Amino acid sequence: MDASYLDLMMAQQEETFEEAEGGGGVWVVADLSGGQIAPVTLEAIGAARTLADSLGAYVYAVLLGDDVTSLSETLYQAGADGVRLADHPGLARFAVEPYLAVLGPLFEEEQPEIILFGATDVGQALAPRLAQRMGGGLIERVTAVALDESTRAVKATFPVYGGDYFGVVTCPEARPQILTIMAGAFARPFLDEYRKGEPVMLDVEPAEAVVRLLGPAEDYQPPRVPLSEARMVVAGGRQAGSFDAVEDLAEALDAHLAGDRGAWDAGLIAADQIVDVRGVTVSPDVYVAVGIRGDTFHNAAMGDATFIVAIHPDPTAPIFEIADLCVEADPEDVLPALLEALT
Amino acid sequence: MRILVILRRVLDPAGIVAHRRLRRLFINREVYIIQPADECALEAALRIKDAAEAEVVVASGQPEPDDDTLRRGIAMGADRGIYVSGEAFENADEAVVARALEAVIERLGGVDLVLSGATTLDTGQSQLGLRLAEALGWPQIVGAWQLEVAGGEVRAVCRDSEQYIRVEADLPAVVSMASGALKPRYPDGVRLINIYRDEGEVAEALQLWEVDELLTPEELSPVVETLGRDFPPERERGERVEGPSEEAAQVVAEALRQRMRG
Repeated sequence: MDASYLDLMMAQQEETFEEAEGGGGVWVVADLSGGQIAPVTLEAIGAARTLADSLGAYVYAVLLGDDVTSLSETLYQAGADGVRLADHPGLARFAVEPYLAVLGPLFEEEQPEIILFGATDVGQALAPRLAQRMGGGLIERVTAVALDESTRAVKATFPVYGGDYFGVVTCPEARPQILTIMAGAFARPFLDEYRKGEPVMLDVEPAEAVVRLLGPAEDYQPPRVPLSEARMVVAGGRQAGSFDAVEDLAEALDAHLAGDRGAWDAGLIAADQIVDVRGVTVSPDVYVAVGIRGDTFHNAAMGDATFIVAIHPDPTAPIFEIADLCVEADPEDVLPALLEALT
Repeated sequence: MRILVILRRVLDPAGIVAHRRLRRLFINREVYIIQPADECALEAALRIKDAAEAEVVVASGQPEPDDDTLRRGIAMGADRGIYVSGEAFENADEAVVARALEAVIERLGGVDLVLSGATTLDTGQSQLGLRLAEALGWPQIVGAWQLEVAGGEVRAVCRDSEQYIRVEADLPAVVSMASGALKPRYPDGVRLINIYRDEGEVAEALQLWEVDELLTPEELSPVVETLGRDFPPERERGERVEGPSEEAAQVVAEALRQRMRG
C-alpha cells in the first residue's frame, strides 16, 4: 500500500457538516494573537467540543477582525462545526462597541446555550457586557468544566487566591451560560486537516467606539512592583557561583532579583532583596532558587510559591524538599546553558 | 460632579491556609481588607476630588453584610457611604449587585463617574463594573493605571498588551482601576473614630439602604449558584532532573517557558 492510496482513503472520509437550525449550541468567540488564532481559542474549541458532544449540540466559532477570512480553516480543524465571520476594516483594532454590535444581534438570534471566551483582555471586556445584555450567567477565569446532563448546566471551577484553592459554581437556569477560560487550562485539540467547512459571513455595520484611543503613553512610568508582590522571582545564594549569571537569568525571565541571607552577607544583594522570614516574604507564581541551600527561615518565606525550581550541588539541601523541580548540579554549569535555552 | 466608588472586602490572604490533604480551608485570622483594586479606585476618586470640586460616594459591592469597609472608605476621605443591606441580598451574585448599584445610582439622582477595581484579589472576578456599564449603557475603561477628569471627559492610561496607551471617553462612564496602580492613602484617624461614634463632620455620612426598597424579589434572584470548593492535589515531592547540565537546563527552560505562557 503506498502513501497515495492512503491519502485517497483519508480524503474519502473527509467530514462534512450540516448545520442545525433553531439555535442552541456551544459557541466560541475567537481571539487573535499576533495575526493568528490565539492558542486559548483553540483550547476553548476543544472544551466546547467535549461539552457539545455530551449535550448533543454543535460547536460554532465566531471570528471578528480585519482580513481574517483565511483563519477560519484553523477553527474548523480544531473542531468547530460552523464558523461565523465578521471581516471588516472597522474591526481591525479591538473596541467594545463595534464588537458588541456584531455579537449582540448574532447571539440574540442564535440563542446559544453556552458561550466560551478566552480569559484575555478582549474576552474579559466583552463577556460581562453580553451576560448583562442577555440576562445570562457569567463565570470568569475557568480552569475546569463538568456537565450536569439532566439540567444541561455547566459546573465550572475557577482559582481563588491565585490557585490556593478553587471555587465551583454553576448557572442552574439562566441561559446563555457564559464562561471565560484561562489560557493553558484545557488541552489543545488535534488539528484535523480533513475537517473543512464554508464560513458564514456576517453583515457588519461598524459602530463608533466610544472610548477613543489617544495614542501610546510613552512618558508613563508604572509604579514599581515590590518584591513581596512579584509574580516571578530569581533568587541567588552562596553556592550560586557567578552572581552575574543569576542577574542575567532574572533579566531573561523579567523577574525580580532576590537572594537569601547568605547572599546578603556576601554583599551580593541589597537588604530589601532578602527572602527570609525576617526580610521579605514572597508568594510568586515561579521562584527559581539558584545555589540556595534553603534554611528554615528562607523556606518559610517562599514556600507559598506556586512553582519552585531549585538548583544546588548538594543533594541533601533542604530546598529540594519543597521544590517542584530539583536540579542537583553546580549552578555554574547549569546557568549558561539555561540562559542560552531561554533566549 | 459626583463619583461613585464600589468597595468590596476580601479575607486577608495572610490569615488563611488552604490545606490540600484535608481539603479544607482554615481561617486562622479572620481579618478583612478592602479589595486592593477597589482601594486604588477610591484613591483615584479622592485624587480627582483633591484637584476639583467633586462628591465621592462609596457603596458596598458585595452581598455580605459589612459596613467596616465603607467606614474605612469614609475615613480615607469619601463624603458619603451607601450601605446596601437586607436578608434577601445575602445570596446575591454580581448580576444582582449590579442591579442594586444601578438602583442606588438612580436614587442618588445620577452620578458622573463610577469607579471600581478591575479584578478581585480572591476570585479574580471583573464582571461587576462592566455589568453595571452595560446596564447603564455607559462607556467602560478597563484596567486603568492613571485617571484624570477634565471638561466632561475622563482620560486614562491603560495597558494594551506590552505597552501603555492613553484613552478617553465622555462622561458619564464606568472605569475600573488596575490593582497596584496607585498607592492608597491612610485613613484619617479622627474621621475613623468619629465615623464609628457617628460624631463630627462625618456624622450620618454612612446611610443604610434596605435592598427590598431598591429591588423587587425577582430582581434579587441570583443567576450563579455556588456549589462548593475544590482543592488542588497535594504537592508531591519535587521531580529530580537527572543527566548532564545541558539536558537539565533544557528541562528547566521548558518548564519555565510553560509557566510564563500561563
